[in-house]
Amino acid sequence: MTTIGIDLGAKNTKVVILRDGEILTTASVLSGFDQKASADEAVNNALRNVGIARDEIKYITATGAGMDAITFANDTVTEISANARGITAVFPSVRTVIDVGAEEGRVIRLNENGKVVDFGINEKCAAGAGAFTEAMARALEVDLEKMGEMSLKSTKAVPMNAQCTIFAESEVVSLIHQKTPKEDIIRAVHDAIADRITSMARRVGIEKEVALVGGVANNIGFVDSMTRNLGYDLLVPKDPVVPEFIPAYGAALLAQDELNGG
Amino acid sequence: MVTVQMEEKGIFDQFKDWYTNRHEYAKAWKEKGGKVMGYFCTYVPEEILYAANILPVRILGSHEPQDVTEPHIFAMFCPFCRDCLAQGLKGRYDYLDGIMIAQSCLHIRQTYTSWDLHIPTDYSYYLPHPMHVQSPQATPYLREELIQFKKSVEDWIDKPITNYDLKRGIEIMNANRRLMNQVYELRKKRNPPVTGLEAMYMVVSSQMTDKHEHNRELESLLQKLSTRDIGDPGERLMIIGSEDDDTEFLAMVEDLGATFVTDDHCTGTRYFQEEVNPSEDLLNAIAERYVKRVPCPSKDWPKRTRLDHIIRMSKEYDVQGAILIQQKFCDPHELDTPAIKEELEKNGIATLFLEFDVTVPIGQFKTRVEAFLEIMREEDLF
Amino acid sequence: MSTTKYPSERLKSWGKAKTLRENYYRDFAEAHDKGGIRWAGGAWSFDAIPAGLGEDVWCLTGEPYGATVAFNKELALECQEAIETKGFARDLCSYMRNYWGSIILNKYAWPQYSEEFPKPDFMWQDHICCSHAKWYQVASDLEGGIPTFSIDVSVGPYEELTESRLNYIVGQMHDGIKWLEKTTSRDYNDELLIKAVQNEFRTCHYWAAICELNKTIPAPLDEKSMYALYVLGTLRKSSQWTADYYEKELYPEIKDRVKRGIAAVENEQCRIMTDTQPPWAFLKVFRYLEKYGCVSIGSLYTFSLIGLWEDKEDGTWGPRSIPEIEITNRDEALRALAEWNLSKPEWQHFYHPKLKSEMMIRIAREWKLDGVLLHFNRGCEGLSLGIAENRLAIQKAGFPVMPFEGNMGDEREFDLTRTMARIDAFMESLGMKKLVD
Repeated sequence: MTTIGIDLGAKNTKVVILRDGEILTTASVLSGFDQKASADEAVNNALRNVGIARDEIKYITATGAGMDAITFANDTVTEISANARGITAVFPSVRTVIDVGAEEGRVIRLNENGKVVDFGINEKCAAGAGAFTEAMARALEVDLEKMGEMSLKSTKAVPMNAQCTIFAESEVVSLIHQKTPKEDIIRAVHDAIADRITSMARRVGIEKEVALVGGVANNIGFVDSMTRNLGYDLLVPKDPVVPEFIPAYGAALLAQDELNGG
Repeated sequence: MVTVQMEEKGIFDQFKDWYTNRHEYAKAWKEKGGKVMGYFCTYVPEEILYAANILPVRILGSHEPQDVTEPHIFAMFCPFCRDCLAQGLKGRYDYLDGIMIAQSCLHIRQTYTSWDLHIPTDYSYYLPHPMHVQSPQATPYLREELIQFKKSVEDWIDKPITNYDLKRGIEIMNANRRLMNQVYELRKKRNPPVTGLEAMYMVVSSQMTDKHEHNRELESLLQKLSTRDIGDPGERLMIIGSEDDDTEFLAMVEDLGATFVTDDHCTGTRYFQEEVNPSEDLLNAIAERYVKRVPCPSKDWPKRTRLDHIIRMSKEYDVQGAILIQQKFCDPHELDTPAIKEELEKNGIATLFLEFDVTVPIGQFKTRVEAFLEIMREEDLF
Repeated sequence: MSTTKYPSERLKSWGKAKTLRENYYRDFAEAHDKGGIRWAGGAWSFDAIPAGLGEDVWCLTGEPYGATVAFNKELALECQEAIETKGFARDLCSYMRNYWGSIILNKYAWPQYSEEFPKPDFMWQDHICCSHAKWYQVASDLEGGIPTFSIDVSVGPYEELTESRLNYIVGQMHDGIKWLEKTTSRDYNDELLIKAVQNEFRTCHYWAAICELNKTIPAPLDEKSMYALYVLGTLRKSSQWTADYYEKELYPEIKDRVKRGIAAVENEQCRIMTDTQPPWAFLKVFRYLEKYGCVSIGSLYTFSLIGLWEDKEDGTWGPRSIPEIEITNRDEALRALAEWNLSKPEWQHFYHPKLKSEMMIRIAREWKLDGVLLHFNRGCEGLSLGIAENRLAIQKAGFPVMPFEGNMGDEREFDLTRTMARIDAFMESLGMKKLVD
């Protein structure tokens, strides 16, 4: 039994192919303007990876901001359910999932059966965690991948007062003018995002264990800021999938559940 | 420019010390065997608490960013009410024997109710308090509420509060008010011997220390102030608005060469300007004082009595400019600000409006205050 | 995929409610043409009191008016921008800003009756929320000065009512009548007051009785329709036309729907309630819920902004009985009116969120709900007061809660797409699937 989970996110479209509970392959492409085309491309890439024909796929479940564009999917689920299903498969002990993506942050609280008991999605002002980090990397002329490492070298916490990303950007610019070391600015950026995500997590309520997923979870500097802010150790998935694939993995698992009779 | 001379440095240090180490102070006070009551609004009749030998301590924030109040108070309510609750949730007021509020704005009421729900305290009292203070019905109603409150305190401490006790409570409060009014009186001078920052330490510390001690300190301060000269005040400013114990902000403004000569804050004149006029019926006298005091904007209707009051003060203190500053999302102040601004400007007083958050973006505010002062200075030239 | 489970039909008395509402706004605009008096105040004002000035007295209540403006997106934005340029903060009550905007623009939300905003002869307000009396203080300023009287009713929860608290309100009412006589140069008629008080008893009782019928599965009414019906009580609860409509038309019709098993949402499979005023420009949220077969049976807000409730002998929550008292004079009328209003469920949370949580949990149980949607309403600090604590308490009682942020009257603060996405996730977490696409 082979199923596919597609997560059409604000920045990347991620695909996971699952056969009898095992991940066969994953693929990721940039989400283009034509969302369906991006989904097609990602699916085709993944199928090619493992040499499977499209008609062997029994069920496709889509999730993510652009899920409704994927007309060839059998079903859609929200990122909340997809995340819950995905993380429960990786870390059954997790009760709180924090998902930080390009444009949205989410916090999901689960019970011992992996059922969603509460969730929060950030309001307008806390938007754009991933996109914000990228913009800041450009402003600081630092490779996005280096942001994490550099922020760990920071020796000083620089407070950022701004409550929203637009003001935060102008604060970063003034920090640059004041010749604040790049390392400290990067840490300040991570702390600021971590601050806003933590506020949301507190609203929803935090219970151990806590997992961090979404693309931004690959940034060790951000993970460090989050851990400090939250006061909890964070589980970051590595195997069988990396953080940004959790919703697609969850969608593929839900597709499989569907075939197994819900 | 204000420069405090060397030999006089330190005459406000005791107030600053009380303010900075408020928790240590209250804990040490409690060691001596008394009860401490945390309160949320200056409409709380401290006279009755002093009569019962209870130390009233106003609960204030700490001006640190926090997120522990996220599950309890919706973000559209003011940063001050959230900052106060955070202090409770973080256990910083764990020495309190009781908490209470006198009804005023909705925002701080949420601090009280969430505290009541989540922080175990031996005693908790919600004092209904007239909002229609301009009505002739307000004083008799508050008098009845004070009777009930007094009874509740008596039950709690298991001891009657006598008329003699009440008189004592009124006297100690009145003395404190009188002394602080005397200090403010000196600020009317051409060269005020007190900065706005110092005055703030003085008034705010009075809300958290035993007034017997505070009064003694005020008496000795007044002696020292009679000969104190700290020079030309620069621009004479007034600061108007909601709860404000943002010492950092006042220090920043005064460092730019201006001086705050008076204020309309509940951490300033609104707290102490009026005394209780003792009469036969002591609780009625107390009720009358809280009904007739300069109101919080939440109680200032249908007439806006604060307008005349502020203009009168601005004349008495020879004010040139006013900073209107309020907690973000503070509806009662937001409902008065346009009218106050208009009235001040009509009377030739320049205004600058600013909004507080838990932490103040001091850099941004500095630029605005500098520009405000520059404009005032330019006008002086012509 | 859709399967119709229950019969459904349109409300017969719907048209009448619409006409009554239109007449109300027309009468206010035309009051002076008829030689009458018009006054403005809040939906919670003691409107029964000015009724004693004569039968040619018409009023405009601010909250429903602000909501009417909110329905008209262009006008709402125009009002909000106009008031912001006067220096008023954007986070103030959005009804109030819409109302003030109407004054400065001199535009009435019902141009078919009057292009210009009809200037009231006096303001008659109550005060329990910090914005109430101040609303009309500013309105009076903006109108160039209109006599204003406000009555403070914030004397603590009903369960702790004392004689002196009641006296404080009744005393203000007596002062208010003297003020009305002076302001309008009219003699006051106690008979008319007594009649109005009795009407108000009926209005508040029957509206609650109607809401109680929604305990039935399937629910005969959905909240979106209730908004168009409860509004009459917010316009003029002490009028004969409101009381008669609820008692003699709407209540019998809903009772009949229950008897015949008529559903508001034909595929009802999930029952929720909301809280606080909805974002008025986005009532399509309720239509969206229906795709899941989800009906909102109402809210503490729709039930008891006007409806009054009490514990019944069988332990359930039901309409507060109409007092069986004989009112013979002004003081008795005022006392009865004050006491009646103080039991208003929507007045209790002003003192402690636990009082509201208890009532909400009670509704969740007795109306057999699956979940709760809480509108964290940036437009109303009064009804959003303590809402975060309500969320915690309702969750603790075992009901799933979905909070969403918005604003009842300022659409700039509501994000429809995100709210729909949130509903999808919430419905999924309740195990619901869309029945219709």
